[in-house]
Amino acid sequence: MASVSAFFQQLTLADLAVGLFFIGLFGAMTQRNIIKTIISVGIMDVAAVAFFVSTNFTPGARPPVATADAAAVMMADPVPQALMITAIVIGVSVVAMCLAMYLRVMYRYETADWDILIRRLED
Amino acid sequence: MGEWPLHLLVLGPLLLGAVTYFLPRRAYQWGMGVGNGVLTMAALHLFIQVRWGVPLRQQLADWPQGVAIPLVADTISAPLVLLTALFFTCTYLFAARAGYMDKTFIFLFLLLEAAIFGVLLSGDLFNIYVILELGMIGIAILIMYRQDKQSVYDGMVYIMMNFIGMAFMMLGIAYIYRITGVLDLTLIHERLAALDDPRAAMIPFALIMTAVAMKAALWPLFSWLPRAHGAPSAPAIVSAVLSGVQVKVGVYLLIRLSTVFLPVVNAQAFFLVVGFVTSTVGFMLAIAQKDIKLILAYHTISQVGLIVMGLNLGTPEAYWGGMYHIINHALFKGLLFLTAGVIIEAYGTRAYSEIRGVLRRMPVIGIAALAGVLGITGAPFFNGSISKYFISLGAAGNPAELGLYLINFGTMLSFVKYGTILFGRPPENVRPRADPFVSAIALLFGLAILAGGVLGGPTVALLYGPEYAVRGAFSPGKVAIFAATLGVAIASYRWGVSRWDAWLANIRVFKPNFNQITVLITLFFAGLLAYTAWMNA
Repeated sequence: MASVSAFFQQLTLADLAVGLFFIGLFGAMTQRNIIKTIISVGIMDVAAVAFFVSTNFTPGARPPVATADAAAVMMADPVPQALMITAIVIGVSVVAMCLAMYLRVMYRYETADWDILIRRLED
Repeated sequence: MGEWPLHLLVLGPLLLGAVTYFLPRRAYQWGMGVGNGVLTMAALHLFIQVRWGVPLRQQLADWPQGVAIPLVADTISAPLVLLTALFFTCTYLFAARAGYMDKTFIFLFLLLEAAIFGVLLSGDLFNIYVILELGMIGIAILIMYRQDKQSVYDGMVYIMMNFIGMAFMMLGIAYIYRITGVLDLTLIHERLAALDDPRAAMIPFALIMTAVAMKAALWPLFSWLPRAHGAPSAPAIVSAVLSGVQVKVGVYLLIRLSTVFLPVVNAQAFFLVVGFVTSTVGFMLAIAQKDIKLILAYHTISQVGLIVMGLNLGTPEAYWGGMYHIINHALFKGLLFLTAGVIIEAYGTRAYSEIRGVLRRMPVIGIAALAGVLGITGAPFFNGSISKYFISLGAAGNPAELGLYLINFGTMLSFVKYGTILFGRPPENVRPRADPFVSAIALLFGLAILAGGVLGGPTVALLYGPEYAVRGAFSPGKVAIFAATLGVAIASYRWGVSRWDAWLANIRVFKPNFNQITVLITLFFAGLLAYTAWMNA
């Protein structure tokens, strides 16, 4: 048991993010429900964001905001944070668009299942 | 002449769309015409500057390298920028009088142009990611613009599978940033070469290349392409632009990012095999289709496979052949999609078996479509023959040479099938619509295809620089091989393919659903990762 808890304790945010990414991928591979696949794809995106934010993490670093007195020492890397704000916005808008498209499909074909949807498309 | 800021070229189409949106109808058309002309001239100027000068490199807001977002125009991207600008201008003129061209549509169309310029000119990995997402959203809206039949479903599958691909790419970019600390492509290239353990670059390579292979529609990740390019409701110019230039963005990224990763990961053999399989599967699916737009869409997959094969054969002739084929394919597939749109409108059907006698009923469109068919099959004196000749020249002595014969035969077979719509007796109820713009642009494309073949060698030298003798492409041997392939293809179509309808129906229903698509993405990623691990072991 000690080794199991040691294993969990040495996991970093980055490891967990990669795990989350593949959980999302698994969901997208296995779920037949359209909403659930959209959620899975959203999880993949969030996992990638979490992984990116954790890169170049230095414990105890200052927020990357310039102040008059302090020199730029021990400042957190601002690049991942700045980039991920962009990526989060993109992710939200794409998921919103997927949901909007799903609504269209749902009103017309009245199903939330990929397989049934394909069958109804061919009729 | 001074150096123009490159970001104006990326922002240009967006500004044009936004500003002209508020103009009244008449001024709007003039504004669009002038704006497109200015963009084309800017792209031409950029091409001349880069081709006979030095590659341009600009850092946005004058930040130092490594911090700024760089914009780069070099000898690979500048010809493609010129091609994109010309292509969008021509397709705009082609459809200027069509019913579906409202202002919102044109704005989205210009957004797509901006996204393509952005990817071609960007030198920053994250910037490329953002612009790809932008283009993805624009394309999804364009696909389902008319919201009829299954176009919303097509759009949804397109956006969701591409979103998965982009999630792979973002994870890969994060890995790259983790091991190199930069996002600038040239700096990544330098720092990867200095890595202590080159195996650290394997995972990001596999992640990013999975996304890129999906954008380039390589096997087995191409199932979005026929949905998008052959979507029943997508207007002709959208199909033409997607097949002509947008899919080349993926191929361009494949070239660009392979070079970035070259010091540590070399996957040329992998992409050579994948290119061959893509090409073969593409033409088999194309032959099985009944819808003329779907024949063309699946055939785009086949041609992309051929381009990727040429680029990864490892010989300079094949490489430049692949580069030239990118441009040639844009010309003939763009022309074929544009004419197919006109034909579908006049005949009121998309089934190839009901369309006959296009040459007799619509001579101009028919001749243009015939030029496209001759170009794509590599008929002597048409541009396809030159690029295919280069690729086969570079493949000499390689087992891939046999594969090229197979691909040529498959191309011929699918276009013998497509060509049947040109001949025969036309049905009575055909109403061709006379439009001088349509005829002029179609003939212009046709002439460009012919000129690209007759002046093949000088064109390659003009666009890219390397000079190769092309006389071999016109040699009696090549002409004889073309004629023999054509004969065999007609014979096997007449006595084979046209009678196997039940058997072809089995191939035609092969359409993976969303879960299967995700499994295929994962398998491709695992395969690429296993291959790079095996190469570096």
